[in-house]
Amino acid sequence: MKLNIHIPEPTKLIPDIRTGEGLLQWLSTVDHKLIGIMYLCTALLFFVLGFGEALMMRIQLMRPLNNFLSPEAYNQLFTTHGTNMIFLVLTPMLLGFATYSLPLMIGANEMAFPRLNAFSYWIFLLGGLILYASFFAGGMPNVGWFSYAPLSERFFSSTKGVDYWVISLLLMGIGSVGAALNFVVTTLTMRTKGILMNQLPLFVWMVFVNSFLILAAFPVLNAALFMIFIDRQFDAHFFVSATGGSPVMWQHLFWGFGHPEVYILALPAFGMVSEVIPVFSRKPIFGYEFIAASSVAIMLLSFGVWAHHMFAVGLGTTFNAFFAASSMLIAVPTGIKIFNWIATMWGGSVQLKTAMLFALALVVNFTIGGLSGVGFSLVPVDWRLTDTYFVVAHIHYVLIGGSLTGGFAAAYYWFPKITGRMLSEKIGKWHFWLYFIGFNCTFFVFHFLGLLGMPRRVYTYPDLPYLGTLNLFSTISACVFGISFILFFWNIFYSLRHGRIAGNNPWNAWTLEWLTSSPPQQKNFEKVPLVRSRRPLWDMLHPEDPDWKRENKNKIKKTGYE
Amino acid sequence: MGRILNSIHRFFSEMSRSSSPNEDYINKLFLWFLILAAIIMIIVIVAVLIGAIHYRSSRHQGEPEQITGIKWLEITWTIIPLLILLIFFYFTVRFMKDIDQPVDKNQQADIIITARQWWWEMQYSKYNFTTANELHIPVHQKLLMRVESADVIHDWWVPELGRKIDAIPGTSNYSWLEASDTGEYKGACSEYCGTQHAGMRILVISETKNEFDQWVQDQQKVPSPPVDSVAQRGMRLFSERTCAGCHSISGTVAVSHIGPDLTHLASRKTLISGVLTNTPKNLYLWLQNPQKLKEGSHMPNFILSNNELEALVKYLEELK
Amino acid sequence: MFFFVGSESFFFLALIISYIYFSHTGGVLSESSHYLDVKRTGIFTIALLSSSITIFLADVSLKRMNRKAHRIWLAATIILGLIFILGQTTEYLKLYKLNFTISKNVFGSAFFTLTGFHGLHVLIGLLVLLIVLIMINNGKFKTIEHTAFSSAAIYWHFVDAVWIVVFSVVYLGALI
Repeated sequence: MKLNIHIPEPTKLIPDIRTGEGLLQWLSTVDHKLIGIMYLCTALLFFVLGFGEALMMRIQLMRPLNNFLSPEAYNQLFTTHGTNMIFLVLTPMLLGFATYSLPLMIGANEMAFPRLNAFSYWIFLLGGLILYASFFAGGMPNVGWFSYAPLSERFFSSTKGVDYWVISLLLMGIGSVGAALNFVVTTLTMRTKGILMNQLPLFVWMVFVNSFLILAAFPVLNAALFMIFIDRQFDAHFFVSATGGSPVMWQHLFWGFGHPEVYILALPAFGMVSEVIPVFSRKPIFGYEFIAASSVAIMLLSFGVWAHHMFAVGLGTTFNAFFAASSMLIAVPTGIKIFNWIATMWGGSVQLKTAMLFALALVVNFTIGGLSGVGFSLVPVDWRLTDTYFVVAHIHYVLIGGSLTGGFAAAYYWFPKITGRMLSEKIGKWHFWLYFIGFNCTFFVFHFLGLLGMPRRVYTYPDLPYLGTLNLFSTISACVFGISFILFFWNIFYSLRHGRIAGNNPWNAWTLEWLTSSPPQQKNFEKVPLVRSRRPLWDMLHPEDPDWKRENKNKIKKTGYE
Repeated sequence: MGRILNSIHRFFSEMSRSSSPNEDYINKLFLWFLILAAIIMIIVIVAVLIGAIHYRSSRHQGEPEQITGIKWLEITWTIIPLLILLIFFYFTVRFMKDIDQPVDKNQQADIIITARQWWWEMQYSKYNFTTANELHIPVHQKLLMRVESADVIHDWWVPELGRKIDAIPGTSNYSWLEASDTGEYKGACSEYCGTQHAGMRILVISETKNEFDQWVQDQQKVPSPPVDSVAQRGMRLFSERTCAGCHSISGTVAVSHIGPDLTHLASRKTLISGVLTNTPKNLYLWLQNPQKLKEGSHMPNFILSNNELEALVKYLEELK
Repeated sequence: MFFFVGSESFFFLALIISYIYFSHTGGVLSESSHYLDVKRTGIFTIALLSSSITIFLADVSLKRMNRKAHRIWLAATIILGLIFILGQTTEYLKLYKLNFTISKNVFGSAFFTLTGFHGLHVLIGLLVLLIVLIMINNGKFKTIEHTAFSSAAIYWHFVDAVWIVVFSVVYLGALI
């Protein structure tokens, strides 16, 4: 049997999903731009779900001994919230921007494997839907986003939730590995003429480095997931201590993936601000080589730090000391990045557009998250802070203050390219300030809560001094935070209709994606000029002072000719 | 003004409570770290603000000078953090060793703590009795705790008394416990362990040597059988209505160790792992419908009549 | 393909490390290892390893544009792979009869998971080789023949290499 559906070539650059034809074009596309947009829309959709879950938890915690949610409901909510935000929001957001922009930034017309690209997206979506399908199959997973064994074994968690969680993560893992493979090969083989590996835009570079992280980390997760699945379904004994298994092994395997995963979510966001800050400072990035090299350092080190999640497990002083050292060490390359971003601004001509504001918010908020992270590497301090609300503050400062904020910078920066229209700066500024204030007010008090002795993942807490007040303050701030997202959705909705027409290069930026029309034609580039530096568009506009002369200064000095 | 400062001071001292040498180490290291973090934070924020205000585009014309980097600067901000971290690493290892002093293999633990879903069993191995959820310790005495789990992973944490230690099934973890003041210290399980993770709180009572010895003597005693007829009925009910299937009360037929040992229940300050204060009324409500007060708890609802409830409460509240 | 294989190797790395960990901490290694028949599996191992040679020969003959030899060597590879799978299946059946299963103890869990996932990879490899063979026979390939075949070959070599490690760790390790 042969399926005979004729799908006409799209006439519009962004097919209309309301017509049957447009819908088919979306479903069958292998164009990296459309797939990128689908990733981003999916991320937004799941974000609404995840935020709703968070808000319900905040209402429950608003006052001590509250009865808004049952403990079981609360436990399902925080598990789904964590899994949702990490795997269904941040991951597709970063993959989406990378899928959309990476080929454009290296002057390619497609990804190396367009069909694999589509496959990655659809299998990821399937994974996401399966996670939520558990809701209809008798309960969502209720064991926390890192599913510590033996709690996640069938004996202690008899609903189907964890099984759905495992399958969902396996599928998304496969999707991510496929996407990573695609990025690596695309970067290696599809660069337009002239771009050397040390002339890649930093976003591309970080996605490239990041892909190696994905390629190495996700298989470890998959192996662990298979083991717990076999435990649950076929009565194996991997993580059951009574029959010789080891619950601690799950922690080793999970964090062997889990810590690199944190950097998987952070590195592309670093790449985004490394694009945004120079453009709005009107200066090339400060210390390109150091930022690029520090990413590689982070990638390598991130495989040697996993056990800093396990200092309270009781694995011995020597063991802890090793992981304390490696965890402290990883702060250094991150610090290098922060300082370089600031140095890029200094001496520049800074335009405080919304994208730039978000990038600066990342610099500030990620520093807070990074510093509290260093706190956890001081083992005795970790013994006090781990598994309390302090760690909740830390993860939110890293993932929202880092990844999500970077994502918003990228959204304001690339929206004109993706849609052809500018996002409103006026709504954008409101969005930014409510976001920045709402975020910090919601999550900064978590540090205090942790120090006051509130463990994480509790559905309620006794009426001890300050706990009620701080939690109420956090809940109110979360609402402000929520309003900022409504503004963002309104901004998208409004700007798609009434936004200013962007033109090819509204920010006067320097990387290749701004050479094409906005939105780009189906075939991205008809012709790409020979690239000789990191900022090809600068060279075109400033033939008197091109970058390639600057970048090759030493070589020119030595050899005497250009 | 003074009042505001005062309440700020109260707030911060609430967050750095310590009542043990171990927690003092932790607080000291945390304070140093906090100072460092604050300095770095101020540097970063000021630097960003200078970038955003001093170098803003309205104060400049045309494109600024295109600088791609300064090597000595890069090396500086690589080396300096490394050196700072080296100092912190030294103290991390030193304090870690001070807190986690090695345990002699033959040494018998003073207290064996077994975490369960969702309560704590506490065995005083040297004095040969078992209690639950409330730990009495003599002040200024360094005790060795052995922490284990009977089901999933839990974590022992009393903020004022030092480090967290995981309770892992199949493993014995050791930790030192010492209080430098008398008083009551509240703690909680801090590794997520299922439905009632939040309802798994800890109370540690540090008392003088004399008080502690008295308490130990009381705990070692077998409670005398009730004389009151209502309480006697309660005692009968306890063995008939399957309470004895899970709980134990020394001197009676109840010897099972699935649920908490209730031998001296009336001497405890709280019920069901620190969720309620120990009053006859609360105990009554708990027995009436355990799932209402601690949803998910492994204690079933036995659908007892009012008379039965009164008799059981009377009996249990006499177990001093 | 190399990146994919590299990624896969981390998967097996995790499984192998877990296997070593579990087989030694569980304290059931000596009790269970007598279930394993090293000599018998050794023979099937030789079959699998020689399939690496045949696929290499297939590659060589493709480069020399000797289509017929290419097809024969490819078919030989598939047959050797099938022999290996046959060996593994009968071994599983035998163990099952001895009541040694995945839920018997932690060694069983680790053993069946590790060798099972390897077997699954062999099966996938066989499927890919079979598809390549069929498509060559149908004359479907013109230009991409070389990449398709060499990708499959890389994968096959990888599967073999993993088996060398698995065999040494599981079977030869049990002898010590």
